[in-house]
Amino acid sequence: DGVAVLPAPQNLSVHSTNMKHILTWSPVVVPGQTIYYSVQYQGEYESLYLSHMWIPSHWDSPIAKPECDVTDDITATVWYNFRVSATLGSQTSAWSILEHPFNRNSTVLTPPKTEVTKDGSHMVIELEDLGPHLEFNVVYWRSEPDAEERSKLIKNGGISVHLQTMEPGAKYCAKAQTLVKAIERRSAFSRVECVEVEGEALPL
Amino acid sequence: LHRCPTAMDTDPVKQSFQAIKGAVQANDTFKNVTILSKLQSIKPLDMCCVTRKLLEFYMERVFKYREELSVQISRGVSSISNSFLPLQRTVQPCKARRLCPCSEEATRATSIINSNYDQLEVQAAVIKSLGELDVFIAWIDKHYHPEPSTA
Amino acid sequence: MKNVLHWDPPEGLTGVEVLYTVQYFIYGQKKWLDKPECRKSNRTYCDLSAETSDYEHQYYARVKASRKATCSKWTETGRFYPYLETQIGPPAVALTAGEKSISVVLTASEKWRRTLEEGAVSMQQVYPALVYNVSMYSPQSHRMWWQCVANGSLVVPWLEPDTLYCVRVEALVPGPPRLPLPSEKQCISTLKDQTQEWKIK
Repeated sequence: DGVAVLPAPQNLSVHSTNMKHILTWSPVVVPGQTIYYSVQYQGEYESLYLSHMWIPSHWDSPIAKPECDVTDDITATVWYNFRVSATLGSQTSAWSILEHPFNRNSTVLTPPKTEVTKDGSHMVIELEDLGPHLEFNVVYWRSEPDAEERSKLIKNGGISVHLQTMEPGAKYCAKAQTLVKAIERRSAFSRVECVEVEGEALPL
Repeated sequence: LHRCPTAMDTDPVKQSFQAIKGAVQANDTFKNVTILSKLQSIKPLDMCCVTRKLLEFYMERVFKYREELSVQISRGVSSISNSFLPLQRTVQPCKARRLCPCSEEATRATSIINSNYDQLEVQAAVIKSLGELDVFIAWIDKHYHPEPSTA
Repeated sequence: MKNVLHWDPPEGLTGVEVLYTVQYFIYGQKKWLDKPECRKSNRTYCDLSAETSDYEHQYYARVKASRKATCSKWTETGRFYPYLETQIGPPAVALTAGEKSISVVLTASEKWRRTLEEGAVSMQQVYPALVYNVSMYSPQSHRMWWQCVANGSLVVPWLEPDTLYCVRVEALVPGPPRLPLPSEKQCISTLKDQTQEWKIK
């Protein structure tokens, strides 16, 4: 079978933002040829109990680009190893292993885009949908001295959620941050957004 | 007695199990035998001990045996086994702080489970144990369910 | 926890007189058990609520068709776990309108019971972590918003007088995703603004 004359991919690394994890590596270049890559992973359980076992990545269609979305492979907050090999026709390179195992608790968390609106005298917020793992902590208050801040946990983005009922003539503000329960971390807050209910509430 | 652990995040395990439940349970042809019998009779005091022992049972005697499983099920088992590690790490400190006592009943209950497993050929016992993960997780959830969250 | 087995007639025999027989199996027990009411029946469903009322157990069911002297092989279900798979019925929703507010009182649905003599068991007792997802819709502004409520009541103050609002409620419990069963949409108008009334007279 193929003798390993093809060089192994180098510089494996994982780039992770908002719990979306992308494995990248330096491409193996053979002029005029398309190189395909195979990606396998091993969780901490496998490295502890089944160190010989590597599992094909969910993204198991032949990969021609030097990157692979491994989000569906990483389903626990433990260490994961990855390895990549290159294939050209019958030639297959050696496996190249990620230098440092990856843990999803290192993902970069960004605050969500928010839209704070009013529906009559009701303060409503809609948050950007950032994917399945992400929840949101919304902090809201009435804009006045010594205002009491209240917070609400919102399970998913993309829907309008009622925050509070507003009194005429007052200004109300809100900000939001991304939460990931699985890794017990939260992002910075989004910028503050305010809405105001004019004097006497006018009929809609 | 201070409850330990105070909470258990079983969501990752549930999602992974849901993906392979049908396939695993369909492979379990021995309907007249169960592995996790009598979980409902475990007393609150024994919760921690039985939880710790069952996590260990799955890690040591179930998740290791994947040779005859399909790639799809094997991936699911990998996902579940890796999700069990944080659960073990949640329970482990309780034992260290002597907050995870094992009564005679708890020890007997978990040894019955192990002997249920021993009565079957390994691969059949593995498949059956995997198929009963929903019973184990529902039992954990019932006792460690987080306060209902809003919105 | 009302658990009804449904099936389709054998292919090519729709409309033809076919009789069905149902059996069920309690996982971990010894043998298949008959359901007399569903023996040689022409219905394509069978209510197994009584047989599966212990929701901590798991069950299988199977059906075979028979016509004249011939009968089919058994067709079997997967393992059914009522505690994790039953759909959660919507709560009873009582709306009371004020001039500028609507009060929403929710009563959890009841667990299926064999007879009325049996004590009622609320689904809240079966699922202590049960919460309600209340959606409030304002036909006038065409806006809808959601609110999650842990206990059984909610007052929405500061509404517009003499305005129609519609509410729909869904009960949610932890565990694997289940088919939602929201309540019927209920609409109610807030009362007329009394102060306006006096000014007009």
